[in-house]
Amino acid sequence: MTMSLFLEWMPLLLEAAVHTLKLAVLAYLLAAVAGLFVALGEMSRSATLRRCCRVYIELIRGTPTLTLLFLTYFGLASVNIVLPGFAAAVLALGLHYAAYMAETYRAGIAAVDRGQYDAARAIGMTGAATMRRIILPQSVRVILPPMTNSAISVLKDTSVASLIAAPELMLRANDLASQYYMPMQLYLITGAMYFVMAYPLSLCVRWFEYRAGRGQHRV
Amino acid sequence: MTSDAWSRALALLPDLLAALLTGVWMTITVTVGAFFVSLALGLVFAACRTSSSRVLHAITYVYVELFRAVPVLTQLFIIYFGLAAIGIRFNPVPAAILGFGLNGGAYLTEVFRSGILAIHRGQTEAAMSLGMPRLMTLRVIVLPQASRIVLPSLANFAIGLLKETSLASAVAAPELSFQAKLLVDKTFLTTQIYILVAMLYLCMSLPLSQLARILERRAARGRRA
Repeated sequence: MTMSLFLEWMPLLLEAAVHTLKLAVLAYLLAAVAGLFVALGEMSRSATLRRCCRVYIELIRGTPTLTLLFLTYFGLASVNIVLPGFAAAVLALGLHYAAYMAETYRAGIAAVDRGQYDAARAIGMTGAATMRRIILPQSVRVILPPMTNSAISVLKDTSVASLIAAPELMLRANDLASQYYMPMQLYLITGAMYFVMAYPLSLCVRWFEYRAGRGQHRV
Repeated sequence: MTSDAWSRALALLPDLLAALLTGVWMTITVTVGAFFVSLALGLVFAACRTSSSRVLHAITYVYVELFRAVPVLTQLFIIYFGLAAIGIRFNPVPAAILGFGLNGGAYLTEVFRSGILAIHRGQTEAAMSLGMPRLMTLRVIVLPQASRIVLPSLANFAIGLLKETSLASAVAAPELSFQAKLLVDKTFLTTQIYILVAMLYLCMSLPLSQLARILERRAARGRRA
């Protein structure tokens, strides 16, 4: 591989990496919001709503991202709802990770002692206020490491969107690899680029876990 | 048009299922193969990670961080397309087993490491003071106790692996998702076939998640006792 080829590829790959980041951020935001609703639904008083949320989580966790991606992209197209690849990828990844986020939120809320909840209710706080001011702030410490792990997973899973031709890093790498027939060089560079994006997040997880561990010891 | 597609799918159902079931077997083959590769790599690297050698530590750290920060699809393409371009040719199925195995090994290294660290230091010290060699301590004292802790994680890992093998369709390994793609190209029954595929994946993963739940309960009971 000559330097000139490398210089030719890099602007194209970097541009695609920006798309990858955009895709990851949008899918992650969708997952974080939708996951919160699913988690709250799972704890609601209505048994039907609880069951629906449970079924959603089990369905999503039992099927590959790829299947959901194909259903949103090709499946919706066959009933005349044609989404661009990028939008379909945001939707599929967001809905997929919402189920994982819901589990994370639930674990975080369950980690707060019930006495905290009872005490808040005893001094007359409403259910919503208890959640917002007592439970959620304490849960954050527990859910931060798994939430960052999900961010890493979403970032890596955006590569799957290349299989529905959504414009992102892996698709650009595939295009260049077949154009120049240098798959080894291109996929290694691409791998390094994903590493540069994901490794800082992985360091964050370590730091959060270290912080959370320290908090536990102090108590 | 749409209701027509559903009735056509219903009429074709036996043929579709027969074709997809051959894919199911291949999915199971790839999953089981990659699981054992991951298990072996995870055990070896976890032993390295908990050893006192700084070189082994560094190698394990690099392995785990590299493989966990790069998408498995990229790793798979490096093994299948990348190695082929420099003359090392794999068939799709061995390439998939190797790719998912290498990737899974990095995850299991961390799982085993936390399992080993969860065992009280006094256990290791007691074994050492009895004169047991390090590897024997690991094998006879630490791993049997750690196994109860890591079993639920192993079951959850197997579920993740099972779903991940769908990516092997991108290198034309004839597993479930690949068979689905072939059928879709032939019949154009996209929605119907992918819903069927989702159900087949569920049939494989739900027993595993049931198993994970049982193992979690058992591990929790062991901790209390």
